[in-house]
This record gives sequence, structure tokens and C-alpha cells, in this order.
Amino acid sequence: MDRSWIVGGIAMAVLIAWYVSYGAARLDRLHARVEGALSVLDAQLVRRAEATLELANCGALDAASALLLAGAATDSIEADTADQTSREAIESDLTQALELALGEEALRRLREDEAVGAPVLQRVAAANQRVELARRFLNDAVTDVRRVRRKPGVRLLRLAGHAELPQTFEIDDELPMLVRGT
Amino acid sequence: MRIGIVSPYSFDVPGGVQLHVRDLAEHFISKGHHVSVLAPADDDTPLPDYVVNAGRAVPVHYNGSVARLSFGPLTAARVGRWVEAGRFDVVHIHEPVAPSVSVLALWAVDGPIVATFHSSNLRSRAMQAAYPLLRPSLEKISARIAVSEDARRTVTTHLGGDAVVIPNGVFVERFASAKRRPDWAGTPARPTIAFLGRMEEPRKGMPVLSQALPHVLREIPGLRILIAGPGDPSSVREKMTKEAAAACEFLGPVSDQDKARLLASVDVYVAPNTGGESFGIILIEAMSARATVLASNLPAFARVLRGGEAGEMFHNEDPVDLARTILALLRDPIRREQLAVAGRERANAFDWSVVAEDVMAVYETVIFGTSSVRAPSGPDSRWARLLRTGRNSGGT
Repeated sequence: MDRSWIVGGIAMAVLIAWYVSYGAARLDRLHARVEGALSVLDAQLVRRAEATLELANCGALDAASALLLAGAATDSIEADTADQTSREAIESDLTQALELALGEEALRRLREDEAVGAPVLQRVAAANQRVELARRFLNDAVTDVRRVRRKPGVRLLRLAGHAELPQTFEIDDELPMLVRGT
Repeated sequence: MRIGIVSPYSFDVPGGVQLHVRDLAEHFISKGHHVSVLAPADDDTPLPDYVVNAGRAVPVHYNGSVARLSFGPLTAARVGRWVEAGRFDVVHIHEPVAPSVSVLALWAVDGPIVATFHSSNLRSRAMQAAYPLLRPSLEKISARIAVSEDARRTVTTHLGGDAVVIPNGVFVERFASAKRRPDWAGTPARPTIAFLGRMEEPRKGMPVLSQALPHVLREIPGLRILIAGPGDPSSVREKMTKEAAAACEFLGPVSDQDKARLLASVDVYVAPNTGGESFGIILIEAMSARATVLASNLPAFARVLRGGEAGEMFHNEDPVDLARTILALLRDPIRREQLAVAGRERANAFDWSVVAEDVMAVYETVIFGTSSVRAPSGPDSRWARLLRTGRNSGGT
């Protein structure tokens, strides 16, 4: 009788230890994925801003569009990476500036300028595509973390430790006129 | 870049996923990347030199058709060895929830993982039952790709989160350059139509075509139906009227080259599939070969055909409507030519040169600033190994 209680107790303790260790490792991996995805997004946003600056200075755009793009791109490069809310607004503004500057006529001129305009436009399109991808991958990772951290066992045992609850990154990053095949 | 690609389905028989994996691999190799493909196959199946055999595959009823899958402790060990030896920058797993090499690879890999979802009908019951087991490994995927909007919806419904839609690719030029074969080409008195695929699988639509044929033959008795693909002709013939069975010519499984020539030769290519298609790569191949396409109006097909601009459509599972459309097309060569030209143009959007570039953008985004893929090490893997041995001994 006594022995079975002890065996049961030990089994219970092992099970709990396993759950804690496994759950912590899983959360750790998820947090690492979020961090990785965030640094990728960060780098891609910088790339996009740099490509936009290049576009502004390539000479194929009118002065007003160039100024608008340069302003939005500079804001993005100088943005405070710690303040996510203001950064989201700044990056959405950059998308909007690109959308406004790349009207039909401007696109046609850029594409015709094979020496400078077309490759620069190509770089902006590639950079924006990667921003879209990076943001989606980050948000998937964030969703996963938040779902696991909602689990009662994880909350009760504080398996997440002091790690901050990650937020999804919400910006407008669609530039349909730059997508191929449409 | 060092790329590892995992196919859950056996390379013994052709299929959409296997072809996708093969073409993607060959495109990246031609671009100078190092690519290794892990896939199940029989020991005596000739494999391209970039394919690593993951073990013998057994036919299993899965997802509405018979798939050749590979699993078990031996396969798991082979997967682990492949991951360790590969030193990949990124591992790209296809159909990560298929009970085969894919799931095993998901367990074994630690590092940047890209997953492509092909199917639009995940078996949600099985998924829910195996959820607690699958969930943590699904969380390892850094980037999810869906080959179609339908597949993407499946991902969002069953797994949560989102996926990037990148469609299947086709080497358009391979099909566009196919030469017509006179004995497969139609004449005014003896027009030809083609059916491609596993004829005994109901969802490929052979029953619908069989029922439509008598109506068509009544008007055009000289019609020839060329049927290519694996399967037993007698089982198909016995479900047809005598006249229909006599008008059918069974070519058996054909090579890629003959498939292209068949599509280029016939008057109309018919795709009467009734469901379970998330994409319809065969339609794009047919369009590349300048075939006139007639397909059921599945949502996936409608998207590829741009709602009927690049190919004719009929009401799914409606043999009478199918017969009517076949007749209309066979009697209107100008319309056929129009559709063929529009289809050839449409196919360009799905060429591998375009599609693979998008996949590469995903790889680059995922591995940006990370170290390469490795087999798990440290405390995490000790648990995993313990689990694995625990399950293996429990299973025998």
C-alpha cells in the first residue's frame, strides 16, 4: 500500500518535471523564432527604405515625388525600433508614399529607363516583397507564441518567465502594381 | 545555398507533389545551388542523383486517394542521417502533415524550415486527433507556403496563422516545344479528345466522361478518345456503353515527352475532375502545349483558367453539360484556336522561372542572418530521443 503511493508519487513528479522541461523548451524555441523573425523584418524594412532612397535619387521621378519618397524613407531609417506603434505608422506611411509616387505614368517611365530606373524599381519591388514575407512569418510566429502562452499549465507554472508577450506587426505593405504576373 | 527538400510521396509513381519537388530541385540546381531531395522510393526505382532514398513506400489510402508513404523507425533514422549529413541552409518540407517522411523531417530538423501545403482537403478529424503530437513540431516552421488559395484557406482554418500563396510552376518551354503526333491529331471526321490521369480514381472524373461519351458519339460517331495514365482499361471499359468503349484508345502510362505531344496533338483536352484538386497543374501543362482545355468548374480550375478566358468550363459532375461543351468545341475550330492562344499566354504566369524566384525570396527571408540547419542538440534533443525510443519500443 505504502509503496504504491511512493511509486505513484515519484511517477507524478517525473511527469510534472517532464512537462515543465518540455514546455519550457518549446516556449524557448518559439520565442527564439519570434526574435529571429523580428530581426529579419527589421533588416528588410531598412533595405526597403534604402531602396526607396535610391529610387528617390535616381532622377527618373519628378522632384515632388522624389522629395515625398526621400522624406518617408528617411523617417523609416531614423525610426525608433523600440517603439513598435510609431514604427508601424511610419512604415505604413512609406508604403503609401510608394503607392502615390508609383502611378501608371511614373511606372512606365521607370520601366523604360533600362539603365537606371528599371533596376532601381526592381530593387524596391524585391525589397517590398521581402518585407511582406518577413512580416507574415513574424506574425505567424507571434500567433504561435501567444497561443501556447494562453495555455493554463503554461500560465500557472510561469513557463514563459519574464519574456515579454510579443505583438504582431501591423502595417500596410501591399504594393499591387509591383507584383509580377498581374 | 544548400537546400534540402522533403517529399512525403514516393518517387515510384508520378504525382503533383513529386513533380513539384523534382522541378523545383532541378530549377535551383540549374541556378547553381546545392539541392538534396529526400523521398521514399523502392530500392530498384531509378532516381535522379540529387534524390536520397528514404526507404520503401507502402500504398496507403490517404486524403481520398492511394498515396505511397514511408514511415517507421528505420525511415526515421534515415531522415535523421540525411538532416545531419546535409548541413542545409534551409529545409523545405512538402505536405508537412502527411504521415510520411515529411512529419519525420519536421521532428528531426532544427533550424530554418519552410513548409509547402499542397492539399486543399486536410483530413481535419485525423488532424485534430493527432494535434497535441503535431502542434509543437508545426511550430518549428518559419515560413508557410500554400500552392493555391484553397490550400491557404485549409491552412488558416486547421492550423491558424497564415500562408503565402506561391502556385505550382511548369517548365512552359518543355511543353510549348512538343511536336504534334499525326496519329494523335484529329481530323474533321475523326476528331480526338484526351483524358490524362489515374482513370480508376473516381475524383479524376472518368465516370463523368464515360456518361457523357454516348451523347457525343451520337452526333460525332468518328470521335476518338485517347486515355493516358496508369490503371486497368478493362475496369473502365466495362462501365461504358459498347460504342463508347470502342471509341476509347488506352495509351497506358506515358512519358513526359509523350504527354506533351499528346496535349499538343488532340483537338480538346478534357479535365472532368470532380474535386480534391487544389491547383490543377495539368491544366497549365496543357495550356503550355497549346491545347484547347475543357475542365470542370472547380474553384481551383476556374482560377487557373481565369473564369473561362483561357479554357472552356462545364458544370462539375454534369455529364450532359460536358457532352454539350465537347460538341460545341469540336464544331468550332476558331473558338478552339482562340482558347489555345489565350491559354498559352496564361501559362507564362506559372513558368518555373517566375515561380521559383518567389520561393527563393521566401528562403532568403527565412535564413537572413541565421546559422544553417542542424539536427537538434542539447537538452531538447535528449528529450526528443528519449521520446522516440520510448515510442519505438512501445510500438513493437
